[in-house]
Amino acid sequence: MEVRQGPVKPVEEGEIITDENVYDRPDETMGFFPSQIVADLVVSAILLAIVVALSYLVPAPLTEPMDLSTDTYVPRPEWFFMFYDQMLMFFPGFAFIPFGGIVIPTLVVIVFFAVPWLDNEPGHSSVKRPFMGVIAFLVILTVIINMLLAIIRILNFPGGSP
Amino acid sequence: MIARIRAWALGVGQAAADWMEVRTGVVSMLEHFLYEPVPKRGMWLYTLGSATLFLIVLQFLTGILLLFYYVPTTDEAWNSIYYIMTEAYFGLLIRGIHFWSANVLIVVVGLHMLRTFFSGAYKAPRELNWVVGVVLILLVTVLAFTGYALRWDAEGFWAWEVGIKIGSYTPFVGSYVATFLLGGDTVGPATLSRVFAIHVWLLPALLAPLIGIHLYLLRKHGEFGSEFEYTKRLAELRERKQIEEYALYEEGDESPRE
Repeated sequence: MEVRQGPVKPVEEGEIITDENVYDRPDETMGFFPSQIVADLVVSAILLAIVVALSYLVPAPLTEPMDLSTDTYVPRPEWFFMFYDQMLMFFPGFAFIPFGGIVIPTLVVIVFFAVPWLDNEPGHSSVKRPFMGVIAFLVILTVIINMLLAIIRILNFPGGSP
Repeated sequence: MIARIRAWALGVGQAAADWMEVRTGVVSMLEHFLYEPVPKRGMWLYTLGSATLFLIVLQFLTGILLLFYYVPTTDEAWNSIYYIMTEAYFGLLIRGIHFWSANVLIVVVGLHMLRTFFSGAYKAPRELNWVVGVVLILLVTVLAFTGYALRWDAEGFWAWEVGIKIGSYTPFVGSYVATFLLGGDTVGPATLSRVFAIHVWLLPALLAPLIGIHLYLLRKHGEFGSEFEYTKRLAELRERKQIEEYALYEEGDESPRE
């Protein structure tokens, strides 16, 4: 069967590697089928097994029915919103909430969109892009620290567990 | 005998494939998708993308099954979920898979984004695929947020209420967006209908074509795992440049460049 050559450019006889064509094709390639598909199926099967096991071991939560008459309930955010929830703690009061809750997250999202155009450093390796690497590290660190602070705060809720 | 059966089966299979190919072009389309060469060394890293797709498909499938029992009204929403978890066949499993695969999806999609970032896979010509990926992450986050509210239990509802309140502080449009999402000034039956419509219809309708575009752009430009996929070629490039520089140096035309 004829193997289609896709975005990975075929080997050329006597090819001279230059800055322009060095990323045309990787050192080694393999067919998407079966090698990559097998790897994909293995990972998907593992994830499915984990999800099914969790479904029985830790059933999806369902607290008491919503009661509009109560005004003392303190909701806890899902774990993936914890860093955002914690960030609001740094901007207390009506004057600052728009800044911490809307303006900063919007700026972060805009920066995310603009990443390909902000990164002018040559090469693809993160070692060769120290500026972007440091920025990414700081973002990840901020998210992790905020999440940990949120977990500590939630543990101190009345009868709270994260 | 076995050889004859095998030959007959192969013949029938070939004839069926030819028949389908002539009428639909499906065989050449499959060849096009399946036999494309892809980078070899980062094979396991690339599974993050397919794992994301798998979990989204799982979300769609379990979501459809939950719709058979879920009732999006303020009186029945909580009861219907309780029924799913206690009475419906495999209800606990289906809702569990929906809930936990959403959580795992957030982790996997985050890892997928980090892998793309640290390997510089967003660089030209793949910028637009990065942009589509960021939109997809935002949609997944909003899906998780709206799904939280559909439970109509105390935890999900009040968390959602807090989220809407924060959103209402958005300059200029905040109050309009909050009123639209609440379906009025306060929480009521319209609120749940709108959250339901957004979670079940609007967001999946946006998500599906964007996933298609993401995959199309991936196939168009090819997978870029990491620079270690190009180690030999980069080494060859460095070596060739060094040889050229020394040649220039020996000729005395110019001193070696740094």
